[in-house]
Amino acid sequence: MFDSHFAYIVNNPISSIAVFVTVLPLTLTIVRRAFVDQSLRLLFCYLLAKLVIDLAMLHLASNRTNNIIFYNLSIPLFYALLGGMFYFKFEGRSQRRFLIASIIGLFFFCAWDVVNSNQDLHNMREHRVVLYSKTVEGVLMILLILLYFYELIKSLQIPNLLTFPFFWICSGLLLYYSSLIFIAPVIHYAYTWNNTMDLGITEFIPSIFEIICALLFSVGIYHYSPKDYAKQ
Amino acid sequence: MQNSEELKWALLIASLAMLAMAFCMIAFVMYYQKRRFEEEKRISDIEKNYNRLLLDTALNSEETERRRIAQDLHDDIGTMLSLTKLSLNQLSKLVGNSGDEKEESIMKKSQSLVEETILHVRRITRDLVPTTLERFGLMEAIEEFIHKLEEDNNLVIAFQSNTEEFPRQGQKLELTLYRIMQELVNNAIKHASCTKIDIVLEIDEEMIGLRVTDNGVGFDPEKIKESNLAGLGLLGIESRLAIVNGTVQYEQPAKGGSSAIARIPVNPASGNKPEPLHPFRRERVNI
Repeated sequence: MFDSHFAYIVNNPISSIAVFVTVLPLTLTIVRRAFVDQSLRLLFCYLLAKLVIDLAMLHLASNRTNNIIFYNLSIPLFYALLGGMFYFKFEGRSQRRFLIASIIGLFFFCAWDVVNSNQDLHNMREHRVVLYSKTVEGVLMILLILLYFYELIKSLQIPNLLTFPFFWICSGLLLYYSSLIFIAPVIHYAYTWNNTMDLGITEFIPSIFEIICALLFSVGIYHYSPKDYAKQ
Repeated sequence: MQNSEELKWALLIASLAMLAMAFCMIAFVMYYQKRRFEEEKRISDIEKNYNRLLLDTALNSEETERRRIAQDLHDDIGTMLSLTKLSLNQLSKLVGNSGDEKEESIMKKSQSLVEETILHVRRITRDLVPTTLERFGLMEAIEEFIHKLEEDNNLVIAFQSNTEEFPRQGQKLELTLYRIMQELVNNAIKHASCTKIDIVLEIDEEMIGLRVTDNGVGFDPEKIKESNLAGLGLLGIESRLAIVNGTVQYEQPAKGGSSAIARIPVNPASGNKPEPLHPFRRERVNI
């Protein structure tokens, strides 16, 4: 029953690990009761959504069905969930407004990008990856992370960053989006049904950093303590 | 084909460069945050030391001033009063020979007033500078203080120590403990309406503990601090303790009253015997 799935996992070990490694921060969130914190609750939702979408994509990929629609639709959803975490971290009203505007803006931009990147929306077999949205998402996320780091340094409220959960989460996201930002537009040309473009090792870089990101999330969640919830 | 290879390399290099930047950014945030915290801590330490120095200087000045007043009282007023007493004695003999009873009674009254004034001046001088403390040590000074208080008030003051021979400590430490004891006992008399005060002095290898317990009305130190009623008393105790790295803790015993425990790290007196704190010598105090 699962022969095709096993075959796919064996043939694509790195991208498969990137799917299943999400279980680790998810489990830790439940064990450490990290969802008490509003930001970490959104991270929990993100991880859950990511696991479901990734599993769906893995299932379709192992049955040789085009799954890119999930990838495209996940962009505004993931940005809303990950960016939403910063809503509870930023204290300035202007930053919060920018965040909400960027979430709404990316949603519409992504919709336009899907239409722009696919001449025939009903043809799921030839559905292609969006050209700009993933890069824009990466730029926005990096911007949010840098803004947060700036506020963190300015406020001097966290004496030891190595035990501060959100620092690890931001570090994981920063590495993941940095690894993806140049590759994302090229994926539009590489991931087609009749693929003629081989990216070589570069193709695995986002998956490798997706795994590292999940591990850093896990470290951050591991450091979370409900007792210190009010301090964070 | 060649273009595809070039693109792959360009992508790889660009991604690696971006990742290197991300790593650098994370490392920078960690480093900068750590450095700023160290800097803040350094500034806070400097401020703390400066405040401590200010406090130390203020208390030194206070002790110097007390000594100067005591010295002036003894050297000037004390001497003049002694001379007045001598003169009155001589005059008393002359008046006694004249046989006028009224004059004799006025003379005796004057003599008794002068004697009383001399005693008052001595008491004030002793209160200003605890000479017993420097000469004989903390236990003797406390005992003398209790003895004087019991004479003047209708109070029972008990004093006990866990050692018979209390080892001599540094001048500053002994004076601090003595002044704190004075302040706590005076507070108990003034505000607690107590009839009994227990003073316990304990020493171990590391700490000296001074506990003053009374059976009065008791008080909540937190409420007093919040309502700015602490005045110079409690604040003075805390200031004195801050200089010698001591702490103070207030308790409300179940049986009523209040209890204050001051704890100070042991600081034995140096090898040479300290200069006696004599109120009758003009010298600068270095506590």
